[in-house]
Amino acid sequence: MLAPSFLILVASGLYIHKPSRVWGFRSMDSARKAHFIAQYFFGFYFLARAYYAVVTRDYRKIFPGVKDIIALPKFVAYELFLKKKKPKYPRYNPGQKLLYSQMALLFPLQIITGAVLYLTGKLQKLSRFFGGLNNVRLAHYLTTVGLSSMVAGHIYFALTDSVEKLKSIFTGYFKPK
Amino acid sequence: MISRNKFSRVFQKHGSHSGVTARLGTSLLSKGKRNRLPVIWLGTNTCAGDSISLLNSLDPGYRAIISDLIDLRYYHFGMPAEGDKSTGVLEDTLAERPGEYVLIVEGTIPTRSNGLYCVIGNRRGKPFTALDAVQELGAAARYVVAVGTCASFGGPYAAHPNPSDGKAVHKVLDRQVINVPGCPAHPDWIVGTLAHLVWYGEPELDEYNRPTLFYGETIHNLCQRRHYFDSGIFSAHPGEPWCMYKAGCKGPVTFADCPYRQWNGEHLNWPVKANTPCIGCVSPEFPDHTEPFFEHLPDIHLPQVTVNANRVGAVTGVLTAIGIGGHLVASIIKGRLPKTLKKGFSPAKPGIEILQTTPAQILVDSIKKMLKKKR
Repeated sequence: MLAPSFLILVASGLYIHKPSRVWGFRSMDSARKAHFIAQYFFGFYFLARAYYAVVTRDYRKIFPGVKDIIALPKFVAYELFLKKKKPKYPRYNPGQKLLYSQMALLFPLQIITGAVLYLTGKLQKLSRFFGGLNNVRLAHYLTTVGLSSMVAGHIYFALTDSVEKLKSIFTGYFKPK
Repeated sequence: MISRNKFSRVFQKHGSHSGVTARLGTSLLSKGKRNRLPVIWLGTNTCAGDSISLLNSLDPGYRAIISDLIDLRYYHFGMPAEGDKSTGVLEDTLAERPGEYVLIVEGTIPTRSNGLYCVIGNRRGKPFTALDAVQELGAAARYVVAVGTCASFGGPYAAHPNPSDGKAVHKVLDRQVINVPGCPAHPDWIVGTLAHLVWYGEPELDEYNRPTLFYGETIHNLCQRRHYFDSGIFSAHPGEPWCMYKAGCKGPVTFADCPYRQWNGEHLNWPVKANTPCIGCVSPEFPDHTEPFFEHLPDIHLPQVTVNANRVGAVTGVLTAIGIGGHLVASIIKGRLPKTLKKGFSPAKPGIEILQTTPAQILVDSIKKMLKKKR
């Protein structure tokens, strides 16, 4: 659910940023409606995922540890085609862990800045931390740019690693072959 | 005397109809003529735009304001007195009416070189700096009002590179400051805030200490051209008669009632009606973080470099595309991708399926189990 709602949020968000039919929306009204519906799916699913990570202590598998940092050069060498043999990891490779930990920080920032822009009056207090609402808008845009770049890389590497992993990003199911 | 609610209603909803404020003023001004609040209007580092704006007030006019509403004792822009005669008024008010007067400050307070970048006069043969004046007079005032964006948040006079180290009033005073921003502030915002202070005390303020009476809603939500925004009909350039959003309008992130109050004393026009975008002049980040005015997002100031946010987005997009594209080509050449795809699309091998659990899968499976149990 995170992936489809994220893609809708990015497309509608980029329309809101710079209105153009390239993003697949005919009017600001339709882009805003899509953005506001997707934000609830994204927000609640993210909270559920975060809850799951805390309750099951799954977060330990997401954030990189010392072992992952040691294993990083081997992983980078493989991804840069300097080594032929694919290193094996229990669940996530160091690259994935680095990516997920950045997402774990940027997604909440994105949700907070989005909420401030959505409820401009009620959450005015939060906008003070950014120095004003226009700065919130800038932070929201830059986070989108960063996250979009990461998600594009995430989807691409899933494809090159395993088709099943790519499917699991959208379906939630992973069946190794 | 009319109720506070009616006062707010009249000022909020009917600000653009000339005559309403006059009617409101007449009913109120007659009552408190004897108890006019002493007011000191200090001009610090300022263009005097807010003073000129005040003079443009029509209902009530400047004459009615100073004769019926307030006891304007010191007004740098409009008083004929100078030298000791003028600065003496400040000392007299401080000595005779402590805790009673309203201090209005217009402009930033320069703090570099002990405030010597703005001297309002001489006192005992020494320069009387704006910094000293604001701190001394502000400490003993009943209310302190920062009029204009410079006094409220720093504004253009504290913009980069800010050679005088100019600061907003609330940054040099350790007390509550009511901000009435605007470049300049609308005469109704100044007079309305003053009237509220005189008759009802401190008005309801938002998180930036602005009266919600005038700064309670975004320009975007009050805009006459909002339907163009919703329908996706945008002006590409200033001068066109549609929604100014694509021309960099800051209406969605600016709290003010310009669309229905309109400028100036006659309530005739406002930027968007004149086919130019709102530049967000009442916002705390104005102007450094609302520039360029005709762009949607502000520039990002890095050491030695200033980059536009759109360029950051474009460069990141291009770098991502180059990175993924390069890796994709190498994957195809090295045979990694064809191998992965072949494996991915081949039929599953016979035998026991080993499923790896994912959070979504666990959630769906537990719902399925629960439904089965219920059946």
